[in-house]
Parts: sequence; structure tokens; C-alpha cells
Amino acid sequence: MSAPAVVVTVRRAVLWVPDWPVVAAMVAAGVGADAPAAVLHGRGLVAVSAAARRSGVKRGMRKRVAQRTCPEVELLPHDEGRDAREFEAVAAAAERVVAGVEISRPGLLMIPADGAARFHGSEEALAEALVTEVAAAGYECAVGAADGLLAAIMAARSSALVPAGHSQEFLAPAGVQSLSLAAMERTQRTAVDDLASVLTRLGIYTLRDFTALPAGDVLARFGQVGMWAYRIARGEDVRPPVLRRAEEDIAVEYVFEDPAQRVEQLALVAGLVAGQLDQALLDAGVRCGKVRITARTERGESLERVWRTDVGSRAGAFGRHMTDRVRWQLEGWLSGTGQGGGPEPAPLMSLGVTAEDVVALGAEQNYLWGGTSGADSRAARSLDRVQGLLGAEGVLTVSEQGGRSPRDRVLALAWGQEAPPARKVAHPWPGRIPDPAPATVLAIPEPIAVLDAGGSPVVVNRRLALSAPPTWVRHLVTSPKHRRPDEGGPIYGEVVPVDSWAGPWPVVERWWSEDGSRSAYLQVALDDGPALLVAFSDGGWVLEAIYD
Amino acid sequence: MTAESTLSAEALAADRLQRARAALQGVEVRMGAPSQGWQAPTFPCAENLEAVIPAGLRRGQVVSVTGSTSLMLALVAEASRDGAWTAMIGMPHVGVVAASRRGIELSRLALVPYPGVHAAAAAGACLEGMEVVLLGEGLALSFADRRRLMTRVRERGAVLVVAGPWEGAHTSLTVESHRWLGLGAGDGRLRERQLTVAVGGRAHGNARRVTLTLDEDSGARWVRPGVRQTLGVHQTLGVNQTLGVNQTLDEGVA
Repeated sequence: MSAPAVVVTVRRAVLWVPDWPVVAAMVAAGVGADAPAAVLHGRGLVAVSAAARRSGVKRGMRKRVAQRTCPEVELLPHDEGRDAREFEAVAAAAERVVAGVEISRPGLLMIPADGAARFHGSEEALAEALVTEVAAAGYECAVGAADGLLAAIMAARSSALVPAGHSQEFLAPAGVQSLSLAAMERTQRTAVDDLASVLTRLGIYTLRDFTALPAGDVLARFGQVGMWAYRIARGEDVRPPVLRRAEEDIAVEYVFEDPAQRVEQLALVAGLVAGQLDQALLDAGVRCGKVRITARTERGESLERVWRTDVGSRAGAFGRHMTDRVRWQLEGWLSGTGQGGGPEPAPLMSLGVTAEDVVALGAEQNYLWGGTSGADSRAARSLDRVQGLLGAEGVLTVSEQGGRSPRDRVLALAWGQEAPPARKVAHPWPGRIPDPAPATVLAIPEPIAVLDAGGSPVVVNRRLALSAPPTWVRHLVTSPKHRRPDEGGPIYGEVVPVDSWAGPWPVVERWWSEDGSRSAYLQVALDDGPALLVAFSDGGWVLEAIYD
Repeated sequence: MTAESTLSAEALAADRLQRARAALQGVEVRMGAPSQGWQAPTFPCAENLEAVIPAGLRRGQVVSVTGSTSLMLALVAEASRDGAWTAMIGMPHVGVVAASRRGIELSRLALVPYPGVHAAAAAGACLEGMEVVLLGEGLALSFADRRRLMTRVRERGAVLVVAGPWEGAHTSLTVESHRWLGLGAGDGRLRERQLTVAVGGRAHGNARRVTLTLDEDSGARWVRPGVRQTLGVHQTLGVNQTLGVNQTLDEGVA
């Protein structure tokens, strides 16, 4: 083994808030700081508060075991977004002491120590200032400083200030399990945990043993992860800290003096707010790819939607574009025709628009193959025109989402609006109607009569058996394609013979909620005609889709 | 002397041709619709549809399809995959998953499900900016609106695929019968379909019938013989074979 080589590192201070996920969850849920609490993700606990740990709850425990160990433990849901959001308060407090910080992960802040320590007089003074400021924000934290990433994190955990050049000695007695502290992502952490367990089984228990191995052998045996761990264990830096600068959101908010209820009143304000946002964007020299429109009602509910915009900041065009979007959103909502069953209509208290996906003017990204094609912008313009003619919901963009029946598998949104799909396509969806998908899916299922050879209706019993093979099908008189929903009761027409059929396929969905459904599907091929997908639910047959 | 006169006549003819071309180009520039602007005279089309539209999906034409939404989707799928924007007007019941499976790019698809009295305006606006427009059945379009839309399709080099009959359509496809394979008496699932399509229209002579296989599925041939026979078996099962069976039966009895 060669003599320890000189490693180039950045001196850094680390600010660590113990058990951050559970601290953030407790703050968000309004649980007192001394109550036993834990964050549950999937099947195990990911973080445990100090009080819960005292009563014997440990990380990685199952929910039931944790509740048996400490019955009063508060189990909180896992939410990475919440962790990051709440940590903003800590980062802001730290930024009042030093100019730039790096958020390595929620719960861990990294600060280049040299300049900041010089400014505050010494590292002790810097640490004290940081702890005081974060305590003022309402959080407990520990600060440590050392050369190199892992040494600094370990120093923070023991509130130590390791003198310059002594990182390797500080790290040497630590166990190999501590390597995972320097891993910032979950996948990386699992890889490093695996490595540590292999090293332990090989009889390598401490970082001193690990760094004594020849570097080439480590690379040959453990690959990239091994090499990364080796460099970290030697007290090296893998990369310099990436500092962030706090930037304000570009947002405009309008608070109504009297709660607004009339659309004309709102349209006027929409124009005003859109103009202000346009001006704010121009002043900052940026443009945005998306705009989030938020309206708050008297009852404290809020209505939020994200709209895509590629209008840029062409004089006035952006303002007009956004005015339309705001007006559509509010009109649809106040008249109660909005999709997705939003909150009850109520007078509005305030209206806010926030720019998202902000890029500097002239720095827009083009597509990989060629620029934003002329065809795309031409199509977008003509769709905007149609939308102006028919209203926001008149033009829809569609995408696929997870689901079982053909109707559930489509997510339709107003053109230009963005929302994540409610159900993931990648999930398994057992019982899904198999491909090929029907080309006509009725927006509202139509009643249909499925008859047996004797002409009496076919029923599906409790044990999912058909009362008789379906032989005839009787459509409605009006073709389902052209029939409006308000045209009275069903009038059946001629019977059509069934050629072949398959089913019944039972699908029981969401029985635990109000929109649950229980039905049995049947594929029916008609003689010389298209095939049909019919469903039996609540004692009657409905036509779901046509394979035409 | 005769040689000289023919030479001058040829020069005169070339000069006239050149002037005629220049005049035509001037008109085209003035009208704002140079036919050279279209990169290709046809949109790409799936191979198995060649029998139905041998000339391909030509720009500037109107295709009417009666009786099958799938055929409409299949016609325009390749064009959409190739980068064309698609609008579906007055088709509130179109199966989006089916469209996606056929190859229509959903990010370049816009639906105008209920255009109401603005059908003509909406279709016109869509033809301005998009290359493939599908019209549903039962739209509020007058005869004059239809003529105007056809003119616009020709000018823009777009293609209009219409559900239901359309007077003056270049190609009109009428699906006369569907035949699904893969279903049994309570078992199996829909797998493969054969459509009998009558092809007619302005650009074609007499109507001819074409059998087209959509959703081709090689597994469909594996259905148990007792459940459902494929079309091929039906066709080959002629009189002779039937007689042959009878003969062997007779012999057995004898």
C-alpha cells in the first residue's frame, strides 16, 4: 500500500437536521415536536422521531410492529415533495448567515466553509451563527466542518470541527456502513448498502481497512460504486458543491375588495393580471413555458390549473392569450360546468397567476431534430382559434391513462391545459379488456337488450354464469352515435343475430369508494356486422363500445 | 431554307412554353398556393391499405368512409406517425386507445367533439393549420360549406377523411360487412377482422370490392377448429370435399 496521496478537497461545513422526513411531516401535520411519530412508506418506517425512538420504534419496522411497540405513535405518510418544501425554511435561515448553500437532500445542507468562516471570524462562530438562525426558524440542527464530503457529514452528526488535513484520520475508525451517509439518492444508497454488506462479509469492517486496499483491485472487484466509495472513504470530494441562488417566483396576485361573482368583473381582472405578469416577465428578461392560475374562494377552497403557453412575449399577445385562459377557467367554474367536479361555486377572494418553466429570453430549447416546427405552431394557432370559437372545453387533447374499461383509459383535457394522469398506464390493471381496442367508445353507455334463443333477456347471476347463451341483440332505434342523452326512454328496434361471443368477464372496481362499479363484460360479434362490447350491471345490459 | 424555318419554329415554341410557365408561376404566387410547396404528393399509408387506395392518400383529396371508424383511423395513422397534425371534428365517441394503437400520435391530435353550429368554421380553421382532418357523421354542414371545405383542402394540400357519404369525394369507401375472428361460444376474444370494402368515388371507375384484414393476428389462426373456422377454410370447403365425405360415409354404411 502506497503512502496516503495528497487529495484535493474543499473545506465545507455541513448543516444536518436529524430525522428530517419525520420533522417535516410533524410540522405539516401539526403534531407537537415531543410526540412519538414516524413516517411510513410502503411497508416500513423510513424515519422515526426522537420520542418514538426512545419508546423502541426503529427505522425499517413494519407498521404493525411499530404500533405494538408504541401504541400512541403517530404514523405519517411519506411525501418527498413535502420534505423538500418544508426544508426551504431551513435553507432560507441558513442563507441569512452565508451567501450560498447547496441542498444535498432535504435535511442536509452543504456550505463552502472557507469564505464564510473568514467572514464570521472562525468556524466555531460560523457554526454558532447557523445553529442560532435555524433555531429561530423553529428547527434543531447540528453543524460540523471537515475536508471532503463524507468527513463533513460525519462531523455534522457528532457536531465536530475536524481540523484541516485530518479528515482521513477522522474517518479511519468509522464502519463501512457509514459510506451510505454520503449517498444522496435512494438508488445510490441501496447500491452502497449492498457494497457495505459485501465488505463486512469479506472481513473489512472499517474505512481504514477499506482504504488500505489497492485502488485498482477495488475498481476491478466493485466497479464504479466501489471506486466512488473508495474515494469518499479517503476523504476526497467527488464534486464541488453546487450553490443555489434564491430566486423569487414570478407571480402576480390580485385580491378582490368585495368577493367577485360576475364573469364580466372577472374578465376585466383577468386582463389586468395577465398584463401585469407579462410586464413582470419582460422586466426579468425571461419567458415562461407554463402558467399556473390559482383562484381562491370565500370558503377557503382553491381552484388551480396549469396551462401551457408558447406565445412568448410578443407584444400584447401573451396578455391576450392568458386573459382568455383565465376567463375560461373561471367561467367554466362559476357556471359549474367545469370538468372533474371541482369545488362548489362560490364568490372569489383572490386570483393569482404564477409563471413556471421560466427560461431566459432567447434561451428556449429547440427540439432535438430541428427547431419548433412551423407545422406545430401553425396547428397550435388554428386550435387556439377554434378554442376561441367554442370555448376552452371545445377543443380537447387526449392521452392514455391506466384503467380497465375503454372509457377509463382516456384522459381528455382542454387544449393547452396540463395535468398528470389520474392512473398510471404502467400499473398492471388485471381484468382489462384485451386488445384490440374498440374504435367507438360511447361517452355515455346506452341501454341494449341481449336476448337468448327464446327471446327472454339474458342475465348474469351471482356466480357469474350466464342464464343462457346470447343469441339475439336488440339495439336502440336511434343510433347511439347520434342520440342525445335527453331524448326520453329507450326504444328498441329490430333484433340482430349474434354470430359468436365471449365472456362474461367480471370487473369489480373501487368497491371501497362511492364511484365503485361491478359489471361483467361480454364481447359479441354480430352476423356480418361490427362486434360489440356490452356490460351487465345493476340487472341490465349497456352498450359500452363498438368494434367498428 | 426549310431547315432554317423549322429551327425558328422550334425556338418560337420554346419561347411560348417559357412564357406560359412564367405566367402560370405568376398566378400561383398570386394565389398563394404553389403546388411545389407540397413536399410529396401523397401521405404515407400502411401497406395493407394499398388494395383499398392504390394511389395512396393523395394531398388535396377527400376520402369518405362509411361504416367503420377503424378504417378511418387506419387510413391516417401513417401520416400522423410521419409528423402530420390530426384533428377529429364531431367525433365524440372515437376510441382514443384504438387510435393510439393504430399509430396516431396523440400529442399531435386534437379533438373537437361537439362543434355544433360552428362545424364549418371549426373545420375551416383546422384545415388552415393541420394536414389531416377527420369529420364525424351528422355535422351541420350545408352543401355550400362542403364545397368550400373541398376547395380549402385542395388549396392547403391537406386531406379530409369524412365519416358517411360525401358528395364529390375522390374516394368513397363503404364497408359492406365485418367479420371478426377469435370469438367462440363463450370463449376466446376478438382477434382479427376482415372487412369487405366497396371502393368507389370520383377518382375511380366502377365500384370494386376488396377484402381487407385489419388487426392482423397470427394467433387467430390457432383457434380450435370446432369453435370457429377461418375464412380460408370456408372458401376451400367446396362441393367436392362435401361429396367426398358423403361418399366415405356411404362406403362405411355399405
